[in-house]
Amino acid sequence: MQPHLKRAFTILALIIIAFIIVRSLVVPESFGQYGWYRGDSVKELRNLTVNYAGSATCEGENCHSQIYSVWTADRHKTVNCETCHGPAEKHVLNARELLPNASDTRDFCGGCHYKRISRPVDFPQIDPDTHGDDLRCVYCHNPHKPWFS
Amino acid sequence: MNISRRKFTKFGCKIIIGATVGTTIIESLVTNSIAQQNPPVEGYDWEKHFWGYVVDTRKCIGCGRCASACKMENEVPFDEEVYRTWIERYRVKKTINETREEEVVIDSPDGGIEGFEDDIPAEEIKKAFYVPKICNHCDNAPCVQVCPVGATYTTKDGVVLVDYEYCIGCRYCIQGCPYGARYFNAEKGTADKCTWCYHRITKGLLPACVQACPTGARKFGDLNDNTSEVKKIMDEERITLLKPDLGTKPKVFYIGLDREVK
Repeated sequence: MQPHLKRAFTILALIIIAFIIVRSLVVPESFGQYGWYRGDSVKELRNLTVNYAGSATCEGENCHSQIYSVWTADRHKTVNCETCHGPAEKHVLNARELLPNASDTRDFCGGCHYKRISRPVDFPQIDPDTHGDDLRCVYCHNPHKPWFS
Repeated sequence: MNISRRKFTKFGCKIIIGATVGTTIIESLVTNSIAQQNPPVEGYDWEKHFWGYVVDTRKCIGCGRCASACKMENEVPFDEEVYRTWIERYRVKKTINETREEEVVIDSPDGGIEGFEDDIPAEEIKKAFYVPKICNHCDNAPCVQVCPVGATYTTKDGVVLVDYEYCIGCRYCIQGCPYGARYFNAEKGTADKCTWCYHRITKGLLPACVQACPTGARKFGDLNDNTSEVKKIMDEERITLLKPDLGTKPKVFYIGLDREVK
């Protein structure tokens, strides 16, 4: 082989080797494990903290079983506990971590029940100006059992 | 044996370099094939699930509980106008202009978190409705295709995720998403998006928005599971997709979508 070609091939080989070495140092170990991404990131995203525990955790024998059975028997059963009471995972893990009280203002209930033109017609809605005389909704309606049936 | 020192050194160097390069290549191939057999998360086989999401727009009341639950669950910056899920309000006015086109007012004040006020008199409106929006977790996701560093990807169970460690924050994916579902998270300095609460669904919980919805307008389930509600809706209801013509193959299925919604 001619010397100038030899030199060129040597340099090329060195560049390739340098590339492979740098690549192995820079690219994370789990990259390409399952596809063109870092395999460990799936694990990381899975291990993020949960804040909403789910209504099933409220049912426990020594917890809120009584209010739970009242709630599941009535029309608000589609509304999960944490939708009004807020995220409760901390409270589930440690019962002493109390949740703030759910809001009982008219506007809070109105978030769902004020009359709005865009809402489905069959959804129960009230006009706050004519309904309930500015009293708090809970004065007449039990939020866990909203209507006298 | 007659071998010069020069020849010996040369030959030795070649052998060493060749062996190092060879073993690294073989090693990476072997470790990859072993790792591929093990799912990344213990106690959850991602090959067995394929998630899907249904939005029944006829049931949405625009209360915004989903959007705020999402922000609280996923620590999305609360004061910024960025959302992983949000609600849009569509109001079609009665007036028709000269070109016989309807006038449609579309808005989403603060993503609908605080609900919506009626700021157009009811007499002027022909029809009005809410449309919850969320990442479509496309099977053929443009955001994944455009990422230059492999920081966003589709998992085997069909969820599009962002690797916050690896994202360089170039925002190309935010531009690439035809649904506007991605945003730039200034706290993390990376692109961010809905994960369908991957940390919840892999533990058997529902995504925070689905759990928070008081009317059941949002539904989530496994498309591989024939008994799941989502699968049942897919089989029985008439469903539509957002921008199906783009070929992104979304996995959020809508019921009762109007032609104005894109």
